[in-house]
Amino acid sequence: MLPAEARGDTIETIIRPGSVPAVMRMLRDEQDLRYEVLADVCGVDTGQTMQVVYHLWSPLASDWLRVIADGLSRDDPRVPSITFLWPGAEWAEREAYDMFGITFEGHRDLRRIYMPPDYLAFPLRKDFFLADDASRAPGQGIRHMELPEQPAESRVRPVLRGSPGSGAVLAADGGRLQVATAAAAEASPEPSRALEPRETGASDSPGGSAS
Amino acid sequence: MTEQQTRIPSLDDPEVLVQTPATIYDTVPPLAPRTEREAEFYTLADGEMFVNLGPQHPSTHGVLRVVLKIDGERIVDLDPVLGYLHRGVEKICENGDWHHAISNCDPLEYVASLHSEALPVLAAEKLLDLEVPRRAEYIRVLAWELNRISSHALFIGWLALDLGGLTPILYGFIERDEIVEMLAALTGQKLLFNYLRIGGVNGDLNHDFLSRLGDWMSRAGKHIDEQATLMNENEIFVNRTKGLGRIDRETALRLAMSGPPLRATGVPYDVRRAHPYSVYPELEFEVPTRNDGDSYARYLLHIEEIKQSLRIIDQTLEQMPDGPVMAKLPRLLRIPPGRAFIALESPRGQYAAYAISDGSDQPFRFRIHDPSFFNLQAVGLLTPGHLVADIMAIMASLDPIMGGIDK
Repeated sequence: MLPAEARGDTIETIIRPGSVPAVMRMLRDEQDLRYEVLADVCGVDTGQTMQVVYHLWSPLASDWLRVIADGLSRDDPRVPSITFLWPGAEWAEREAYDMFGITFEGHRDLRRIYMPPDYLAFPLRKDFFLADDASRAPGQGIRHMELPEQPAESRVRPVLRGSPGSGAVLAADGGRLQVATAAAAEASPEPSRALEPRETGASDSPGGSAS
Repeated sequence: MTEQQTRIPSLDDPEVLVQTPATIYDTVPPLAPRTEREAEFYTLADGEMFVNLGPQHPSTHGVLRVVLKIDGERIVDLDPVLGYLHRGVEKICENGDWHHAISNCDPLEYVASLHSEALPVLAAEKLLDLEVPRRAEYIRVLAWELNRISSHALFIGWLALDLGGLTPILYGFIERDEIVEMLAALTGQKLLFNYLRIGGVNGDLNHDFLSRLGDWMSRAGKHIDEQATLMNENEIFVNRTKGLGRIDRETALRLAMSGPPLRATGVPYDVRRAHPYSVYPELEFEVPTRNDGDSYARYLLHIEEIKQSLRIIDQTLEQMPDGPVMAKLPRLLRIPPGRAFIALESPRGQYAAYAISDGSDQPFRFRIHDPSFFNLQAVGLLTPGHLVADIMAIMASLDPIMGGIDK
């Protein structure tokens, strides 16, 4: 059987992306499992890897079953599609592709569902910054789940809304939005004009030190 | 991901809008097809043509655009285009703290927003392992069921309106108006209530609410029956909905549907019973199902669900305990690290959230599962072969709300 672990009150199991079709088929079709209700499909960006998380419900089980396909590379996340088992996962997988760039192999219609077709970024990835997020957690870069301690000198300057070239804000270019990473911002020779950033050492926002 | 690419004309690009104003409503996208399915859909066979339904069509219940491929009056295929209301609620939730998520989730299901605003509340309570005061739980159930009735009453009216009948929506709005006024007395808002809090609710029951509720409960059952007779025996309505958009049990499960469209096919999947939350295990009610799976069955199921909700409201008022309505919590709330999946039964089906907390005051990831998003997928399966006019009856019977679909 699968290595399942009770966590809170949800049963959870972590599998390799390659085994998704076999595991999901077994969960759905075995007579003593009968996980026939697909409660959710979603992508997750942990900061280090990508995950695809499935939630299933069975009339025989007491609780949700969470199946996490873990260990997708962030550069080229790929996972087999489950639309051959649940055609209803089609839009959910399109959404995960749209928001995280996860490629679902075997999906018949993998294109963006919310964002415009020529959009380039993947908004829910952790390296996609909103101006608010960047100013709230200055210099944090990707918010890691394990929250590694960072030496103070490795932090980049805090990013302020609307200051051109100052860091990980969205820069409008020809009507389209682009993500400028913190590294690219540091290389940019253009100084910040709009507002003078505060000192990095001072804890300047309530969420900054903790998040 | 972020590298500079050659400039592609975009519908969002102001220059393109100015230069080629006539092409912005083209059915065919300006880019080369990216998938085989898209290429196949946007290739016309002999005698076929495209028609845009929406994005501003009144019968699409929001800003949904459906590209129809039709042959004469028959629908051959269709391609729903989403994203007109996309705000990125999940991303916004990740960037605000847990309390902000409540009001951000409010407009998802704007017809029954007490259900969608419960997502961050229930998720945070599960991660905190928090016990909510029982009076608060009963008030929540009372408010949820009232909201369910107001949403269902509107559904019945909308369904008839999309089929060309004006009267039922006026009756539907009578119920909805009374409930909305009632909830406004309780929560202070008429549409986006922002009433639930992590650990309870924002404010106890008051006299204004209770007197309105008692007044309405004395005639609600009669009103519902009245509205039902208006449509149950209407020959045009029955003929136009019976046998239309029929879906069987297996297909509905494979399409990951939930709520009334799934229960109309005979699957008794109701989160209130399948995976109980709040105080629903203590309340007596049935999960009505139907076996036909067509638009008419979905309509009848809504009527039965209203009656069950009235039963639940009666019980909550009888069993309502005394006590506080808010658990004692620190003001700056740090949610312990962990993962939680919660679900609740909204009027449209299973509303669910998968929340990951990293121990800070913000969610690390907040995934919102909207039932309309999954139910609406069935349109692609149900409508081909039907007339263009029938797409309204099918879509209205699935009861999609675009605020949640587009997130």
